[in-house]
Formats: sequence, structure tokens, C-alpha cells
Amino acid sequence: MLQFISHYTERYSYLDSIRMALDGGCRWVQLRMKDAADDEVRRVAEEAQRWCRDAGATFIVDDRVELVRQIGADGVHLGKNDMPVSEARALLGDGFIIGGTANTFDDIRSHYEAGANYIGCGPFRFTTTKKGLAPVLGLEGYTYLIKRAREEGINLPIVAIGGITADDIPAIMSTGVSGVALSGTVLRAENPVEEMKKLIKITEK
Amino acid sequence: MKININNKPTDTTATTLGELAQQMALPEKGVAMALGTKMVQRAQWAETALNEGDSVIIIKAACGG
Repeated sequence: MLQFISHYTERYSYLDSIRMALDGGCRWVQLRMKDAADDEVRRVAEEAQRWCRDAGATFIVDDRVELVRQIGADGVHLGKNDMPVSEARALLGDGFIIGGTANTFDDIRSHYEAGANYIGCGPFRFTTTKKGLAPVLGLEGYTYLIKRAREEGINLPIVAIGGITADDIPAIMSTGVSGVALSGTVLRAENPVEEMKKLIKITEK
Repeated sequence: MKININNKPTDTTATTLGELAQQMALPEKGVAMALGTKMVQRAQWAETALNEGDSVIIIKAACGG
């Protein structure tokens, strides 16, 4: 499973990045516009959601619980400094996917207990896409966290995130994670649509 | 047959992802499924066969299953 997290560069807008991910075959898109104004996020989210629906892709919005409820997105992803999962669940009810960011096993457990439906676990390595990140996990980190989660009966899908490139994917997938979330590596490619096709192939191998 | 759903061993009579979705009463929206590592979009669930020992990942909202 490959999840794409929107980003922008000098060349591409948020919507460009989502369009290219979908054209490359990605079927899970997370819109992440951390510092943008609410009305701009709404405008982009509504457009991106239409595209995702047309493509049969899951559409998740980062952080903005109320917007997710209003536009009927598939779900919300909550970072470490966003609203707690339990609070989002109380606001959204049972009809929305909620994902939470985890850096440690305690994070995974508390998201699980609070009613999260999947975990974005990272960072795999240092990344410039996000500011102020926790220590990197590396392959050993994922192997440990997956084992620990299984031992404790936590069956939530865990998706690896944070500075992952094509070369890393086979080893990361072999730790037992359910998928990888990518952002920067797609947009840095010469041809992001072709890059997405390649990345999906590698992930699904 | 036995399959794994989110790493949990599960018995099912479903022979396709579509049947599995039906048996688990998965909602019309807000569900992502992968067979093994391959993400399968809803339109293809009905034609995606399940086999003994398959690993299925389901990400969905809180209710059911």
C-alpha cells in the first residue's frame, strides 16, 4: 500500500502533486497543508476530493477535523501536535477513518486505545519535508514496533513515513509494515507521474 | 479458508475481496483494501480472488469487523 502525502515545490502546487499521484496510479491521498489558511485548504480539499472520488482513491486530510466532517472526506490524519485521536473520534463519530502519527510504541498503543484506524509511523530517516521531528526509527525501529504491536494484540495497519525513497522501500516493507507514505521523493523526480508508477511497483512487489 | 486480516488469522467463506467486504458489512465509503501489498480499489474488489493464506489489509472507519 502506497500513500501519497501532498506537498508543494517551486514547480508544483498541492493540487499538481495530487493530480500527478493519481495519474501515476496512487489510490490513497493525504492532503497536508500545514501552514495554509482555512479557506485555501477548503478550496484545494474540495477539488482534490472530487479527483480522488473519480479515481476511486481514499482521500484523507491532515489535521483539519472540522473540514473533514463538513466536506465528507474519507478521514483525517492527526500529527503529534494536532487534536488527540479520542477527541477527533468524538467529533466525527464512527464514519470516518482516523490515522495518527506515532514515533514510539506508547504512541501506537495510545492511538489504538483512542480509536485510530491506522498509524503513520516514523520518521524512517531525517527529512526536510517536516519540521521538528522525533528521532529517526530506521529499519530496526520498524521491526521492533511491528513485533511489539503484534505481541500486544494491536492489529492496526502501520504505515512507514519520513524521508523514504525508492531504494528503501523493499527493506521497509520486509519489516512487516502495511505500507509506505511518500511525499518528497515523488515530487523531486524528473517525471513524478512515472516515478509514482515505479514506486507503486516496488511497494507492491 | 484461512486468511490474515491486518495480521489477524481469520476464517472466511469469501472467495473475493467483494464477498469479504459484504460479509464484513464494510461501508460504502471510507474503506481502503490491499491484498498483500497491492492496493485494490473498490471497483475491482468483486473480481479480485482470495486464496488460502492471503494477507488482506483493511483500513476503515471505526465501525464493524
